[in-house]
Amino acid sequence: MFELLRTKFIPVAIDQAYERRQKDAEGEFYRSIASQGPRKNFQGTTQGFYVATPAGELLLYNNNRDPEKVLRLTKKASVTFAASKSAKRATKPIASGKVDARYNPVPPEGGLVVRVRAKVLGGYVATSDRWRKAMQTALSRDNLWITQKEHAALVAGELPKKLMRRLTRFHLVDNTRGEPPMWQDKEVRKIAFERDGKRIRGSVLLRTEDGKRGYVASMLGFVEVEKDVVTRFDLVVNGEFWGEGRYTRNAPAGRFPFAVSLTLADGSDVADAIPPQASRGWVEGYFR
Amino acid sequence: AFYVSVLSVLAAVSIPAQQPTLSEAKFDELRALLTPDPQTMWRRIPWRVELLEAQREAAAQNKPLFIWAMDGHPLGCT
Repeated sequence: MFELLRTKFIPVAIDQAYERRQKDAEGEFYRSIASQGPRKNFQGTTQGFYVATPAGELLLYNNNRDPEKVLRLTKKASVTFAASKSAKRATKPIASGKVDARYNPVPPEGGLVVRVRAKVLGGYVATSDRWRKAMQTALSRDNLWITQKEHAALVAGELPKKLMRRLTRFHLVDNTRGEPPMWQDKEVRKIAFERDGKRIRGSVLLRTEDGKRGYVASMLGFVEVEKDVVTRFDLVVNGEFWGEGRYTRNAPAGRFPFAVSLTLADGSDVADAIPPQASRGWVEGYFR
Repeated sequence: AFYVSVLSVLAAVSIPAQQPTLSEAKFDELRALLTPDPQTMWRRIPWRVELLEAQREAAAQNKPLFIWAMDGHPLGCT
């Protein structure tokens, strides 16, 4: 699949919840492709795999998660394209034009992007189901955005409360099996962070009203600064999680070990450009 | 579901208010564990994240687009 995508296609990964709503050239192009498939109602999800010509003619739509099936269909689409008229004529490139800012949030100028990864460290019942096994061993990925003001505070040796609360509410979540529920403000039962020079220590207790989901954890981190710029922001949060969300079913029963690791992004990973999951649709709320 | 729910509530009731502090050795161990393997197949696929940028590339190279469209960003899970 890797060789096929690398050599025969231009692979692109997108959040369709944004693309189908965007009022700009990119949104129009996406809707023109998706509307040729079975998911034409743009009020609902259009999730799936699409293969299209550069002009936007749909060659394949599928929403199957079986890798063998996806590979077989993609190979077939590659052959279909090679034999088509589209493959023999030039296609006009489409300019991006003015982008819909609501669905194209960019990291704060002068701020920082921090990679966030999370992992369930145990507690699962062993399974032979390939899909479930992939979920059980998943390492999730998100980004934490830090504002210019918070960056300046970190340089000055401080630890902005707003930043640590954002980190806690939106990034100490179990997103290893799907889109997670974020912590509401009132679900942050205890939050204590302190900075001593380069070192940060802290602890949190998070729990829903009904007690069905929670996380109790301690944290150790290091911040380093050179010439008024944060050059290191490494944190590890480790503790016990329990419960699950609507889209993160099949968590281990009871309490399970769960860790989150944060480190500065350097732009070398394409995923560094992805907005934080919790900012979807309302960036202002993420920074509030 | 009932069984899991009961277990979760019991877990919540018996939860300690605080976890033991994290040592530097544990910090290093967990950081290594939560660093993705750059050689996994998923990470070797040269994903683009902007559809029209990909369209312009596809037009220039005369290749079809393979679009992975998800609820939430597909690159949010490795």
